Amino acid sequence: MNASILNARHLSKVVPSAEGELSILADLSLQLNKGDSLAIVGTSGSGKSTLLGLLAGLDLPSSGDVHLAGHALAELDEDQRARVRAEHVGFVFQSFQLLDSLNALENVMLPLELEGRRDAQARATELLERVGLGARLHHHPRQLSGGEQQRVALARAFAAEPDVLFADEPTGNLDSHTGAHITELLFELNRERGTTLVLVTHDERLAQRCHRVLRLEGGRQVDTRPGERAVRQ
Amino acid sequence: MTRLLVLALRQLLRDARAGELRVLFFALLVAVAASTAIGYFSARLNGAMLLRASEFLGADMVLSGSAPAAPEQVEAGQRLGLEHAQVVEFSSVIATDEALQLASVKAADSTYPLRGSLRSAPRPYQAEEATPGPGPGEAWAEARLFAALDLAIGDSIEVGSKALRLTRVLTYEPDRVGDFYSLTPRVLMHLDDLAATDIVQPGSRVRYRELWRGDGEALAAYQQALKAGLQAHQRIETASDSNRQIGGALGRAERYLNLASLAAILLSGVAVALSAARFAARRFDASALLRCLGLSRRDTLLLYALQLGMLGLLASLTGALLGWGAQHGLFFLLRDLLAQEIPPGGLWPAAAGIATGLVALTGFALPPLAALGRVPPLRVLRRDLLPVPPSAWLVYGTAILALGLIMWRLSLDLKITLALLGGGLLATLLLGGSLLLGLKAARRLLAGAALSWRLGLGQLLRHPLAAAGQALAFGLILLAMALIALLRGELLDTWQDQLPDDAPNHFVLNVLPAEKDAFAERIGALSDHAAPLYPVVPGRLVAINDEPVRQLVSKDSQGERAIRRDLSLTWSAELPKDNRLIEGQWWDARGQAELPGVSVEAELAESLQLKLGDRLSFSVGGLERDAVVSSLREVNWDSFQPNFYMIFEPDTLQDMPATYMTSFHLPPGKERELVELARAFPSVTLLQVEALLAQLRSILAQVSLAVEYVLLFVLAAGLAVLFAGLQATLDERIRQGALLRALGAERRLLLKARRAEFGLLGAASGLLAAIGCELVSALLYHYAFDLRWQPHPWLLALPIIGALLVGSAGILGTRRALNASPLAVLRDS
Repeated sequence: MNASILNARHLSKVVPSAEGELSILADLSLQLNKGDSLAIVGTSGSGKSTLLGLLAGLDLPSSGDVHLAGHALAELDEDQRARVRAEHVGFVFQSFQLLDSLNALENVMLPLELEGRRDAQARATELLERVGLGARLHHHPRQLSGGEQQRVALARAFAAEPDVLFADEPTGNLDSHTGAHITELLFELNRERGTTLVLVTHDERLAQRCHRVLRLEGGRQVDTRPGERAVRQ
Repeated sequence: MTRLLVLALRQLLRDARAGELRVLFFALLVAVAASTAIGYFSARLNGAMLLRASEFLGADMVLSGSAPAAPEQVEAGQRLGLEHAQVVEFSSVIATDEALQLASVKAADSTYPLRGSLRSAPRPYQAEEATPGPGPGEAWAEARLFAALDLAIGDSIEVGSKALRLTRVLTYEPDRVGDFYSLTPRVLMHLDDLAATDIVQPGSRVRYRELWRGDGEALAAYQQALKAGLQAHQRIETASDSNRQIGGALGRAERYLNLASLAAILLSGVAVALSAARFAARRFDASALLRCLGLSRRDTLLLYALQLGMLGLLASLTGALLGWGAQHGLFFLLRDLLAQEIPPGGLWPAAAGIATGLVALTGFALPPLAALGRVPPLRVLRRDLLPVPPSAWLVYGTAILALGLIMWRLSLDLKITLALLGGGLLATLLLGGSLLLGLKAARRLLAGAALSWRLGLGQLLRHPLAAAGQALAFGLILLAMALIALLRGELLDTWQDQLPDDAPNHFVLNVLPAEKDAFAERIGALSDHAAPLYPVVPGRLVAINDEPVRQLVSKDSQGERAIRRDLSLTWSAELPKDNRLIEGQWWDARGQAELPGVSVEAELAESLQLKLGDRLSFSVGGLERDAVVSSLREVNWDSFQPNFYMIFEPDTLQDMPATYMTSFHLPPGKERELVELARAFPSVTLLQVEALLAQLRSILAQVSLAVEYVLLFVLAAGLAVLFAGLQATLDERIRQGALLRALGAERRLLLKARRAEFGLLGAASGLLAAIGCELVSALLYHYAFDLRWQPHPWLLALPIIGALLVGSAGILGTRRALNASPLAVLRDS
């Protein structure tokens, strides 16, 4: 139990709709240890993003509980959950989600500054250099290509040395070449830093690179099996 | 077309259900409601005040002349449905068996007066009451005639060859209160008896007055109809120019109310501009999709135009109804204070409100809407593709022009419109430019600032043009509010100064030179506030630089009136209080000259086109006297002080037979002393102007009240618009808030960032507003209000007020952004 960084038990999410209550996630449990990687796959509307939101503490389940880095998320208020996120969680989004008003460096510094770290600038610079954007520190998101923006987002996600990295279709908005490059970077960084990775994708090849693949259909877990990476190991 | 219409309606309903239209609808609603309410409030109060002012005429409009009005002129008025009364005034010697007294006689028909009422007492010095005038065979006279001729009620007097029985003592005629110069006692008789007096013969000096009453439109039509056939001797007077004391105050109040409506329209424009831009921006994706699905560019545009038009119409109509209801509520609350009939405002303010909403919507929604047509269909694939920027200058220029036209049409006051619009535009350009530069400079400073500041200001500084636009919009809102607040204070002060509690309530005429010193002593004992005794010599201006004035002066000008009758000429060593030299010098600085100097009142000088150094010739007591214009004075006609068109240098008219005049404030409870004074100086004429003062005070109180409430209205509208405007800038902030929360930012940080952002935005807006307000107020004071402008240091508080106001409104308004679920970031992707 000691090594478990993310632990979800009997998660359900029910939302009200015009036709009565709609169950978008039903009785889902999972446990991830440090360094694990999990791919969540499924068709659109299968509940992938909902599960990601619950695991990351962006939303609360209707029933069940999530323990993230030892914190029972359901017992925390939104500000306390934000603090847990700031300390333990990193994000990569499909649409990059950089702040237009900040340049690349500032975007990467943001989570460090939220933690109040003094070496924010140095670390952010180092990470941007690591993702190959050392020459574009002061460019604003609009001046960057999609792949470059996602690299900034990757740098941002790893900046605060998160225990768990949540990635929501990180290559969904990119061409296959750029996507492959981002994927490489993602797994390299993951390996280097021993981060736990939770990845939502419908890209089977990407999913297979994780230790485990969790398949969702209509909000239910239909299959969990080891990915290729686990098999190789 | 029908297909598009149906589609537009369907989309509108869908958007409405999705809450997409709330901001624009709300902004339009507030804008139209505010401008309609203020429009109605102003129009109706103005009407009410004009009604009060009408009392000074005894009618809404008077056609006066030295010969009877032509029958066609009278018929034209009657055809328009106006009520009519007829008055004939002349001087006549009133005879009793023992004595004679010159009196000014007024013969009026039974409908006189049409506005206000006659008041009379059963016996001299008894309590007065409002009653209809004397019937045929009867006459009323003022108490001083009873005293002069030793008459009693029931006695008979002869007016010409007609004997009339005195039935009551005349104490008040509504249309005489302001006329200080009628020195002889008044006798009022019925018009039916006039012919029997045999006094009115061809050539005798008689004044005919046709009184009219009716609604504004009919009156305006009548006035228009009269203009063509107006004879040289005839003159039209209306309530607004009936009395200088009232006219000044009313004119300013009217302009103030106008300005308030204009400010409301300006506010609407800002609100609509902000939310229309948002409306369009949010439809970039949808319009690209429609284009992809095969809708032509023209149809896409048309679709959104239709949608916007329907929305605008609905919001405007609802807003107008709301505004109409609001002003009714207000008048209901004020019913005890106003205590009189308030004329309905008609349809015009509502129509103006709706038109304002639609024009502002068209004007300000057009540029972004036009952009919608240019959204490349490729945007469905590449979201970063933005429409080609429209030629904003052209379209905004049209919008501003349209707004200006509405403002002008509503206020009928080109000066105010230009001052407000031009000043605002100038301020916008100048300040917007410097703001932009400032923002760019601030970007460099920001690098080392705390996170919350960088987060808050980053947004502003990244998009300096948008930030400058927002600051300008909020600045305009603050400017409109500050300007109305500023003018309110100034107007109330002016009115307060105009009628202090110890304003003169008595005028004294005909003090003989021999009695002058003794009289001054008595007055000094009676009142602390007496004006100096001014000598008065009646004289007529006959020539300017040797040219007879009759040939120089245009008809119906002030100059024409001034030369038609005797002027009260005076001389004085000192410049009278309340007078201000605007050109030339007072005597001390003048030195010796061949001809004596004369100081001329500035407006008369302008009307007669007089310049310094012009030689004026006066006919005084049958002799000709020349003088040189040595200075021009501004005279405060609103004060109850003796005022003069012409003041001569001392020792230049001394040899002429003069009497003296003055005015003083008689403290309450000293009426007995006044009667003793009158007995001691039987030749002196004492005129009470207490009634006029009371009426003036009540009008000013009403006007002040109006000004106060309109200010509240404008402030409320301003706040509402501010809020609506903020809502319009919310989207980006909600997204940013959600992302920051996902990354682990706490509320406190977001709150700090918002505070920094809105505080700075508010401070910048406040600064713009302060500078703009000084600029516009200087223009307005000079051109529209005839007030003297001084800097207003308190405007320096505006940046702080702006920061607090926009800051707190911003935080309140963007609570949604703070509370936005971080999950939204996932949804968005």
